[in-house]
Amino acid sequence: MANIRDEIREGLRDALTNGDSERSEKLTYNALEQGVLPLDLIQQVIVPTLTKIGQDFQDFAIFLPELMASGDTAEKVTAILEEVMVSSGQNFSSLGIVVIGTVENDVHDIGKNIVSTLLRSHGFKVIDLGRDVAPSAFLDAAQKEKADIIAMSSLMTTTRPSTRSTINLFTEVNQRGQYKFIIGGGCITQDWANEIGADGYAPDAASAVELCKSMMEVI
Amino acid sequence: MQKNLSPMIVNRSENGPFMKEPDFERALSKRTAELVKQYGLKFNPQTPIPSDDDMADRLYQAGVDLFVELGVFNQTTERRILFTREEVEDLMGMVRNKVVLGVGKDAVVMRHREVEGSTPAVVLSGPTGTPCSEKNHPLILLSCAQEPLVDMLGAGSVSTYMGNPIIPGSPLEILGARRDAAVARDAVRKAGRPGMHISDVAMPLTCQGKMAAVDPDFGLRRSDAFLVSQMVELKTSYDQLSRAAYLQGIGMHIVDLMTPLIGGLGGGAEGTAVVTIACHILGVVLYAASYHMMSHTHMRWVNNTDRMGLWMQSIVGQALSRNTPIPALNDIYCVSGAGAEELLWEVAAGAVAGTPSGMNMQGAGCTGGFKTDHTTGLEARFIAEVSHACLGITRQEANELVVELLSHYEKTFNEPNRGMPFPEVYDENTVEPKEIWLEKYNKVRDAVIKMGLDLDGGWRKVKHG
Repeated sequence: MANIRDEIREGLRDALTNGDSERSEKLTYNALEQGVLPLDLIQQVIVPTLTKIGQDFQDFAIFLPELMASGDTAEKVTAILEEVMVSSGQNFSSLGIVVIGTVENDVHDIGKNIVSTLLRSHGFKVIDLGRDVAPSAFLDAAQKEKADIIAMSSLMTTTRPSTRSTINLFTEVNQRGQYKFIIGGGCITQDWANEIGADGYAPDAASAVELCKSMMEVI
Repeated sequence: MQKNLSPMIVNRSENGPFMKEPDFERALSKRTAELVKQYGLKFNPQTPIPSDDDMADRLYQAGVDLFVELGVFNQTTERRILFTREEVEDLMGMVRNKVVLGVGKDAVVMRHREVEGSTPAVVLSGPTGTPCSEKNHPLILLSCAQEPLVDMLGAGSVSTYMGNPIIPGSPLEILGARRDAAVARDAVRKAGRPGMHISDVAMPLTCQGKMAAVDPDFGLRRSDAFLVSQMVELKTSYDQLSRAAYLQGIGMHIVDLMTPLIGGLGGGAEGTAVVTIACHILGVVLYAASYHMMSHTHMRWVNNTDRMGLWMQSIVGQALSRNTPIPALNDIYCVSGAGAEELLWEVAAGAVAGTPSGMNMQGAGCTGGFKTDHTTGLEARFIAEVSHACLGITRQEANELVVELLSHYEKTFNEPNRGMPFPEVYDENTVEPKEIWLEKYNKVRDAVIKMGLDLDGGWRKVKHG
């Protein structure tokens, strides 16, 4: 076990922030060669850097292209670290498994995509079902992936009822208690979340990450 | 080139370069950032209304480059629809610079507007982008249609039918679409303006839902319009293209709806402006639109009355005005709601920004779409009054006005004043604004007059010459 050297720490932070995949991967391999534990790299460098990037996005200091580039880079770095951990017999566990999608008939997915990016970069395993996702597709994916959280997005008031029908379907097949349901999107409010019996509501992408973390604490 | 491009568009949709959607988004972000740099585009928050003709022209060229190089992503086929620069130039050159909307005495002509020119803007109003309840929707529409300075009506969106949630694709969507169209038709009749142009019934999400609202007697007619949407950014689908083909086939107006996100795939204000120019080209080339509805919003606040949004409205309007013949329309989208003083300051800023920049007016989108029924006709009246009073002012004068107007509301973005629902600010029997709303209107109106805008004389000059 070795401490993370400053040049690795600062370099990786900078490369992640700038979405520089090549440099990030190189620094990650350097760190591993120096004996840094993958988990230390994740906890001490990657997560704090991505938390800062998420906050900058929230504050409009950076925009979606920068967030996407950092997210893509973080995914590549995490894949390297995961491979090392698995091959050395360590257990690589995510913070939790989130099945996410934009609800049936709704094709607006940019907000959902941002949440997916942020969740992945914070260490969640994200199964993104895309847009126009039928309630049964949420159910199938939740069972198949052994999800912890079902995250639904809806932009339109006309598609919002599908958040309710999705939860109702899980109730109908006696699966409601197996998962936490969170919702968000342009037409979603806390009142609506309360009305349909969702476990949580997030008004924006950054708070969706915090919401998922808090959900995992009670699971 | 033929007028009916559908066979060519389908052919290119089937045979254009294959690309996964996330890769298209990455390519769009990357190329947009390069074009912003290459063309030296710069947003200055101190100058929300820029007076830089050369930058407007550079912006237009950047938008053409983006459109030609990247094309349009067809979500159905996962292929890019590509056009050559020559094709784009030909098609843009063939666009009509004016369009008659509505019929008879109530018809208006929406024109291509010049930068700092003398052509007045036409004003489209209605609760487009602000959800309405079944109960209040007819009154809200009437409150807009009866405003003498409002030229066209948007029918807006109601998400229930006789108290039941409308499920897209279900019979209730068909019934709801027909109901909303009939309510809009009834509103213009009640207002004594039966030939007024109705721009879209927003509720139906499916193609068949939209088609169900076409009814020459009780719904929308050929003199009216439907929106055909773009998905952010520069994306379409066979579903949307089919709507355009149907509308073109029956001779009904097509409105090109674009909703670029500031802070989204285009990046900041400059990149989103580049994308927005390309979106207008998409509307001409793929949709053969009669007019274009620019409905850009800030990703966090869901409005376009902040400095970035106003700058975008202005510079995109100038770029289109100077380089194309198209009639452009900006949707003024606000964080505040009816009954809030801030809403009036917001719409005033939107109208001042757009008028010398070549835009026609639409509004007001209220509360970022978050609150049901928080919208009325009074703010539309104010948009028209301010726009007509601004006619002929320079962009520099507009900039000074906008900076002052911003000071009245921009500090509220994080905790906006969402105002009140329609029945609290309008009398439900007379459909006239209540004193509580009129007092605020008169207060802001007086303040704007003191800023130098002739709100009493401006519209008279426009309407009576």
